[in-house]
Amino acid sequence: MRTLRQAISEKTRAWAARRHGRDTLPIKINRRRIYILPTRFGLMLAFVLVAMLIAGLNYNSNLGLAFAFLMMSVALVTMHHCNRNLLGLQVDVTTEVDAFAGREASFEFVLRNDSIVERRDVEICCMSAAGMRSVPARSTESVPVAIPVAKRGVVRLSQFELRTRYPFGWFHAWTYVQGALTAYVAPSPRGNRTLPSAEGLGSVDRSARPGDEDFAGLRAYQPGVPLKHMAWKVLARGGEAAVQSFTSLAAQPEWLEWSSLEGQDTETRLSQLCLWVLESEAAQRVFGLRIPGKEIAPARGAAHRFACLRALAMYGIGEPQ
Amino acid sequence: MNPKLASYPQLLGAFACLALALVAHVQSIPAWVLATVGLSGAIRLLLARRGRSAPPQAVRLAIAALAIALLFVQFRTFNGLSAGTALLALMAGLKLLETNTQRDIHVVTLIIYFVSASALLEGNSFWLLAYLIAVCWLTTATLLRLPTTGPVPNWRRCLRYSGRILSQALPIAVVFWLFFPRFNGPLWHIPDEGRSAASGLSDSMSPGDIDHLALSDEVAFRVRFAAATPAPAERYWRGPVMHDFDGRTWRLSHSSSTAPLLEPQGRAYRYTVSLEPHQHNWIFTLDWPSRWDLPGGVLTSDYTLVRREPVSRPIDVDATSYTHVHWSERLDNPLRKRDTRLPANRNPRSLQLAQTLRSAHPDDMEYVRAVLAMFAQQPFYYTLTPPKLADNSVDAFLFDTRRGFCEHYASAFAILMRAAGIPTRVVTGYQGGIFNRFADYWIVRQSDAHAWDEVWIEGRGWLRVDPTAAIAPERVEHGLNEEASADEPLTSRWIHRTRWLADARLRLDALRQLWRERILFFDQDSQQKLLEWLNIPEPDAQKLVMVLTVALVLALCWLTWSVRREVDPARKELLIRAYARLCVKLAALGMPRLGHEGAEDYAARVARRRPDLGSAVSALCRDYCGLRYGIASSVSVAQFDAAVRAFRPARKAKQHAQAPTPPGSRAS
Repeated sequence: MRTLRQAISEKTRAWAARRHGRDTLPIKINRRRIYILPTRFGLMLAFVLVAMLIAGLNYNSNLGLAFAFLMMSVALVTMHHCNRNLLGLQVDVTTEVDAFAGREASFEFVLRNDSIVERRDVEICCMSAAGMRSVPARSTESVPVAIPVAKRGVVRLSQFELRTRYPFGWFHAWTYVQGALTAYVAPSPRGNRTLPSAEGLGSVDRSARPGDEDFAGLRAYQPGVPLKHMAWKVLARGGEAAVQSFTSLAAQPEWLEWSSLEGQDTETRLSQLCLWVLESEAAQRVFGLRIPGKEIAPARGAAHRFACLRALAMYGIGEPQ
Repeated sequence: MNPKLASYPQLLGAFACLALALVAHVQSIPAWVLATVGLSGAIRLLLARRGRSAPPQAVRLAIAALAIALLFVQFRTFNGLSAGTALLALMAGLKLLETNTQRDIHVVTLIIYFVSASALLEGNSFWLLAYLIAVCWLTTATLLRLPTTGPVPNWRRCLRYSGRILSQALPIAVVFWLFFPRFNGPLWHIPDEGRSAASGLSDSMSPGDIDHLALSDEVAFRVRFAAATPAPAERYWRGPVMHDFDGRTWRLSHSSSTAPLLEPQGRAYRYTVSLEPHQHNWIFTLDWPSRWDLPGGVLTSDYTLVRREPVSRPIDVDATSYTHVHWSERLDNPLRKRDTRLPANRNPRSLQLAQTLRSAHPDDMEYVRAVLAMFAQQPFYYTLTPPKLADNSVDAFLFDTRRGFCEHYASAFAILMRAAGIPTRVVTGYQGGIFNRFADYWIVRQSDAHAWDEVWIEGRGWLRVDPTAAIAPERVEHGLNEEASADEPLTSRWIHRTRWLADARLRLDALRQLWRERILFFDQDSQQKLLEWLNIPEPDAQKLVMVLTVALVLALCWLTWSVRREVDPARKELLIRAYARLCVKLAALGMPRLGHEGAEDYAARVARRRPDLGSAVSALCRDYCGLRYGIASSVSVAQFDAAVRAFRPARKAKQHAQAPTPPGSRAS
């Protein structure tokens, strides 16, 4: 039973994917892509309505019929309202998310409601995970959906589902969105080795890298320099616009090396490297990553960190097209 | 907390709705069933209050088995409406006991819908329908309070939303109701339960026992004459005919269903009798019925129209009657014997009186006249509250009390006739009625119940003789109310004396009759008339289905449009829409709002040009500013919208109110 249901679900998903083609996010849900079917309670209600109708006809009772017809119409209107709950919603998703093997890959969906009616209980499902939110009139809500991931590598979703049972739970309206969602699953951050640089912290060559910790003199102004580094006193004295120049304490680029973890298996090495990447970034160090087949130049910041994690995730798997 | 579990407020809501739905069944469901439902609901609520779940399954099963067994012992069946409803109510109550999850609440909701619908199968009042729709509204609103994301919306919002859905459903329901094909007769046999007590006339008559029928204001039936209305003295509505007398009580005897042939004379009266259920199988018709439109209806040998099943639901019967007929058949001997039979050794003084009178009047007609004259001349009184009579009731009435109403006179007269060998039978029915001048029909109440005699005169056939008319002719001419008002309770007399109250009652009754004719008795014929009214040639069932389809498609298009419109991003809030409507109305008068103009300035300009609208417009604009800019406002948005809709400015100001137009606004 369960498998039959899954098979049907897969077929409809594939059919919807063929029908609508690939979507570019953000996307506005139009009426052509909303499907609706009665739920279990809806079917039970239908049974009750048919019983009411037959009883009304059999007893020739116009009032009984009036009530049965009213309830039938209520069901019809409810179907439209359930459909309306999704109609015209805008969906977007943040794709650059952290994910570590054995934990969850969390996608952040953004639902925007431009209309003057509240959209209650809109659920977003990808794979087995789901998140539910109500979006008030003319506002935007974000819905995190966490997908459990077991293995390092890449998780690619080509489709997710928006669904709702509001108002009465008699109908189930849903829509498929063919948006490419990719999560790179980094190895689980684990290991017992300390950072390579932590050992030789005493011998820091503080000449090369610019930083913001130690004052190292004035430089000529260049556009784009942070305002807090401007030498305002020099400027006030009528001098040239100058910039205070600093050097960083850990300015020496630090290399996280695959080769420094000799004697361990691949996954342990990757886990250790992952842990180092997170630690280095947390400590605001400048670091580079060197693994077989890939070298990432020393840098800092979220994008750099993401690139490193992605390189670790994809090690030995092959770059996506 | 598990969101799938039902919380205390949800249980309370479901239980309250079920209780409200069962109120409609109070008369038909045994009290202990209602008590069980109430008790199990209370137990469950008490448990929920303490944060506990439903009682264990074994307990629930035991209670269910016991209750269902009891129910079966009481009804002997689960088929039929009251047994079925009782079973359903019981199941709902027990379901309440085991309600743990939201799924259970859904099931209880569905039971509530069905219980409500089943109350309407037998009920027929407008108020019942309105009440049950309200219950359904409330029930639907409780479904909105099942836990979801965010806080549970408050009652007001839930009621507003489900009310909105209900109001959108209403036009579609009307389309369904008008055009869904009706069948004549049930799809399968409905077991007739006759669960309500019989009312009105009974199958026996005991003058001397206390009878409250005469004081009952309940409507027995209503009559609408197609064309002519017979004279008051001819409006005898024939009911059961009694032949067997045991000295105190007249009883219905089994009569064959072969009615003697009559030759109608004079004019025919066509009419429709709208009978209220009375749980007997006779149908009241005007004396003497000749044609009727009633499936399974036959005339007995007594000329009473009967059908096989008792009248347990309101029915309408179209019939034709002649007030004058000619009898060509003869009365055969067994019947003659039956209609002259008297119990031996009862009412000896009456028998003696009959013999004395008979010896003076050997002719049958003369004898009848002599007895009537005796009633008229001797001190007999007409009263609705006569003294109780002894065992020989006729003797006691004729010689001692001499006070009574139609039953006493009809009974005494019949004895005197039979004692003289004239075949006589007692006819019970109704006489008179009140004309409702607001809707052109007659109301016949239980207080119009009457009894009269028919005597067999050789050569003339059965002849109606109404001895009551000899005592109190007004009773027959004008009805009971004027005649016997002194005997009635004070309130009822007051009602009849107060003209406007009587009129109000008649208007209300006219509405009730309209409801009955247009709604309760809406059937195939009405649908055919509806199609004719819609100018559809040769209406039949097929055309009806076509019209239903077209109307449904139109209704659904409207629904789709109105639902989609709500999510259109261009659609503004109600407040802004209402203000825009106000501006459109004023623009139609030649005063469009300027792009830069605020509401207050605009109102001031309108007031300068049309001083007659000034106060109304500035009040509306002040409300708008209050609502829009968060200044404390005394009105709600909905009220503002309604006020704008109700604002209908006259196209031209009254001449004397015309103020000179400031030149500045003219230029713009």
